[in-house]
Amino acid sequence: MYTNEFEYLAPTTPAEAFELVGRLGSKARILAGGTDLVVLMKDKLTSPEYVIDIKNIKEFKGIKYELGKGMTIGATTKISEVQYSEIVQEKYPALAYAASQLGGTQVRHMGTIGGNTCNASPSGETPTPLVALGAKVVLSSAAGERELPLEDFITGVRRLDLKEGEILTRFILPEPSPKSVSRYTYAGARDAMEIDCVNMAVNFELEDDKETIKYVKFVLGSVFIKPLVSKEVPALLIGQKFSDALVEKAVAAAQGEAKPISDVRASEWYRNEMVGNLTRRLLKEAFAAAREV
Amino acid sequence: MQTWDKRETEVTEGKSSYVREGVPSYLDERRHSQVGRSVPKVDAAAKVRGEAVYADDMTLPNMLYGKIKRCKEYAHAKIKKIDCSKALALPGVFAVLTGDEAPNKWGIVPHSCNETVLAIDKVRFYGEGVAAVAAIDEETAEAALDLIEVEYEPLPALLDPFESMARANEVVIHETNPDNIAFHGNQIYGDVDKAFAECEYVLEREFKTGMPQHGFIEPQSALASFDPHNGRLHLWSSNQVPHYLHRQLSIVTEIPMSKIRVTIPTVGGGFGGKGEACPNEFAACILSRKTGRPVKITYERSEVFFTSKGRHPCHMKMKIGIDKDGYIQAVDFDNTMDKGAYASWGVVVMFYTGSMVHLPYKIPNVRSYLRNVYTNKPSSGALRGLGGVQPRLAMEVMLDEMAEMMGISPYELKMKNAVVSGYTAANNMYVPHTEYKRCLETAVEKSSYLEKHGKLPFGKGIGLAGGNYISGTAYTLYQNYKPHTTVVLRVDTEGGVTVQCACTDIGQGVDTVIAQFTAEALGVYFEDVHVVVRDTETATFDLGTFASRLTYATGTAVKAAAEPINQKLKEIAGQKLGCRADQLIIKDHKIYSMYETKKTMSWDEAVDIATSTVGTLVGVGHFSPPRRKGIDIVTGNRIQGGNIGHSPTFGFSCQIHEVEVDVETGRIRVKKVTEAGDMGTPVNPMAADGQVEGSIVYNMGAALYEDQVIGADGRHLNPNFHDYKMPTSMEMPDMFINTLKDSYDPTAPFGAKETGEGAVQPTFPAITNAVYDAIGIRFYQVPITPEMVLRALKEKKEKEAGCGA
Ligand SMILES: Cc1cc2nc3c(=O)[nH]c(=O)nc-3n(C[C@H](O)[C@H](O)[C@H](O)COP(=O)(O)OP(=O)(O)OC[C@H]3O[C@@H](n4cnc5c(N)ncnc54)[C@H](O)[C@@H]3O)c2cc1C
Repeated sequence: MYTNEFEYLAPTTPAEAFELVGRLGSKARILAGGTDLVVLMKDKLTSPEYVIDIKNIKEFKGIKYELGKGMTIGATTKISEVQYSEIVQEKYPALAYAASQLGGTQVRHMGTIGGNTCNASPSGETPTPLVALGAKVVLSSAAGERELPLEDFITGVRRLDLKEGEILTRFILPEPSPKSVSRYTYAGARDAMEIDCVNMAVNFELEDDKETIKYVKFVLGSVFIKPLVSKEVPALLIGQKFSDALVEKAVAAAQGEAKPISDVRASEWYRNEMVGNLTRRLLKEAFAAAREV
Repeated sequence: MQTWDKRETEVTEGKSSYVREGVPSYLDERRHSQVGRSVPKVDAAAKVRGEAVYADDMTLPNMLYGKIKRCKEYAHAKIKKIDCSKALALPGVFAVLTGDEAPNKWGIVPHSCNETVLAIDKVRFYGEGVAAVAAIDEETAEAALDLIEVEYEPLPALLDPFESMARANEVVIHETNPDNIAFHGNQIYGDVDKAFAECEYVLEREFKTGMPQHGFIEPQSALASFDPHNGRLHLWSSNQVPHYLHRQLSIVTEIPMSKIRVTIPTVGGGFGGKGEACPNEFAACILSRKTGRPVKITYERSEVFFTSKGRHPCHMKMKIGIDKDGYIQAVDFDNTMDKGAYASWGVVVMFYTGSMVHLPYKIPNVRSYLRNVYTNKPSSGALRGLGGVQPRLAMEVMLDEMAEMMGISPYELKMKNAVVSGYTAANNMYVPHTEYKRCLETAVEKSSYLEKHGKLPFGKGIGLAGGNYISGTAYTLYQNYKPHTTVVLRVDTEGGVTVQCACTDIGQGVDTVIAQFTAEALGVYFEDVHVVVRDTETATFDLGTFASRLTYATGTAVKAAAEPINQKLKEIAGQKLGCRADQLIIKDHKIYSMYETKKTMSWDEAVDIATSTVGTLVGVGHFSPPRRKGIDIVTGNRIQGGNIGHSPTFGFSCQIHEVEVDVETGRIRVKKVTEAGDMGTPVNPMAADGQVEGSIVYNMGAALYEDQVIGADGRHLNPNFHDYKMPTSMEMPDMFINTLKDSYDPTAPFGAKETGEGAVQPTFPAITNAVYDAIGIRFYQVPITPEMVLRALKEKKEKEAGCGA
């Protein structure tokens, strides 16, 4: 229930933050909204000597969109801001919807999108659509910056390719193809405060005939140690005309790729069924939407 | 409608609910102005503003913080050694306590007390307390816990009642119960076998219920202050039974009750979970006595889960026989209950499951075989509607199924068999008043049940169920026939009107109800009444908050306490007005002749005269429940627990749930609930509706979402609100509460009965029946999880495909 004693540091500029993170290394933890970190600290699952709060650094937050170039979302942007942003809703609806389904109102107003990724929980809400939308992360330190596709940044359960001294500062989302649609869905026992037992997102585009699938990126959450980018579903779908039979093949493929576990939230059997049923639901929903654009 | 302006009483005066046709107002005992008013609860504003003081909000000078070390290694183990020396040596630690220092056993039911404050020799469930510390602050106390070294020798953990009985020859949980059976009892009324033989329709089913816990928001918190100079102990604690706590504190600490004072601050919910003492209370008291300083112990949420005394999981077999004319003739009931580690309310709950089978239908022959079995799990105890909801699930689901067998509507079957006022059940339970049939009629009509049932598209369904609950109990848990509630009313110019009674508001609203009763009985306004409650020293005796007893009990006692005061005021007024005291009426701050309305004076003036002449007016009123026994004359069998279930009167409810089943995820969503309830007079209609709505979502939780999960090794796997899922506001269905506003039990004070537990009874089966209507699958188990639905749908599909081929 009680955290260890730690020193709280609240830098206000990127340079200060990089200096602190670089100097204190593994003795420190970065704090954004704290909705994951503080819980872990109270349970004594982590007991850092220093906590570096990066919320006061304005360069790390906010949503910027430039037509044709895409969007950047600062790491400390609140989940609620992503949820309610009109431009996110318009251009990346899968992300806006996923954000709206994270936790409850209070959590969404505290938690950040960077924290959700850096927490690297397999059931995390926003990494799944971010990966489907082709997001890259920008990892910054005193030495400079590097970019990485999000699916390469998250390497496992609570594991990141984050080097000592680095901070995740923003996400870069490519401009969506004008004819593409993105959708997100999930399964959980209730409609709020829910840790998904399965979630998934798709980025989907049809050829001009409105039948043939031009592009699919299909990502599953909560059924593997990290967001699972399906290889087989695009291989099956791209270049084919959308049909119920085709969807059933995709369903089987997705179920084959997913590696769910049994835990207190759901059994492996149920998760596997959900992968199938939600894949069917999501692809049909995406297809219907793609015909309209 | 939701006004608390006293002018509202003038408005209601002309209304039909206030004036009954054909009854002269001066003779109408139902002509209430304060009872039946929708007023916000007396503590509502303070709670909303965050100003209500809960136990954990309190600090005293020099106060220490206590914490309990828990066994997180095993669910069943011998304690070989406890070494506290390192903890004691930690700066800031004032005292350490181990079980052997407080060996007196406690428990709510005296003849089955088997808990100690901290485990001695053996732990019997995961998370049981083994030592406690008091330290200068919580951080130090927590650090001290880590320094306590405990050596265990693991024992096999028995996690299922059947396994527990089968393996009793090799593993025993309590030495006192070598068969691992905590309690068993048989109740045989009538000739069940003969009746079945004559029945046209007979059905037998097996049912299973889950292990929900209470989900109160405020964790247990206790602050104890022992004064070494006079040997007195004062405990402030979040508890719903200060009297039983008081008694048990005295037994454990060996301090006489007269030197212990229990005060209950604001309570953040109880639902039965605070319906007995809790180890933090004892530990705080004993650590305070050891250190000479006040000590506070507040639980973390995980501790609430480990020590929770939630609903008994039940494995039930029920057989129902109905004759060719549609009358229920016999019920055979067999219940194996999962007691968990300690006795708690176990024997009471067990016998309730037997007696609850007898209502709300007329059943001449009933047989119950009951057993409650120890396991190495959190102890089961009292939880809202205890003993009722499990057999209610079985019976209401089976009647739904049997109606289908018979080709009639479940509504018709239930109407035909519903009890009526004045009914005496086979076990001698007496129902002085019921509007159950009108509950069924009203809910069916308002929901268009008959038009929808069996006719909705696949995936949508509607289900009906009824139920009832006691309005108090007949007996104390220790043998004694004293009054169960005593009320003292005090009236004078200085203090106005004060009502004293150690009844405990845990959110259900007795503080408000007792103020309304007092206002009504004394002829003043609700706003005039000061309530002095929840304290064993400054307020008078009350047995506690359980069994939905307080409306009936406090109402009766208030009425009696008001009599001598009213008599005195009438005598004073009679002299002044020049008329007979027995022809005067006191109402709405006026004293007037029932025949000559011009003869009137203000109540306040009469009080002024009384105060100046005879001094403060005081009235005392008691409530003692009627005594009834279970009968054992029919078969000559000994009827065990025969008096459990007897109650002065009963509340009734009918619920109709409409659900949608997502056939892809298996999720069930309750979309709409239509309820009609008979609670007698709704004392505070606004609060009563809240109780009913709360009841419905409460058991919707345990029907669809809530279940404690215990791992194969006995570990508690979801001791937090993240993984123990209660419905959120997002899951709230639309609710249509149609309380029968004109229901009035002439045997009850102001006509009022219970509602806080009756309305939880129909929820499990109403949802289960609605799910059947939606997807054609009957579940005999709650909670119904998405996974269960999906599996059942899959099996159904495969079976249907198999049939087609
Ligand atoms: C009641 C409750 C419900 C929840 N429900 C959900 C849910 O439904 N779905 C879901 O996905 N999550 C849920 N969460 C988890 C959590 O709210 C989210 O993961 C949230 O987005 C975390 O963001 P944060 O800013 O609070 O992270 P923090 O707790 O501040 O940080 C999380 C981790 O990331 C690190 N970190 C944070 N920012 C950076 C950065 N910029 N660079 C490097 N490292 C960083 C921190 O050191 C820490 O290890 C819930 C949490 C709670 C308490």
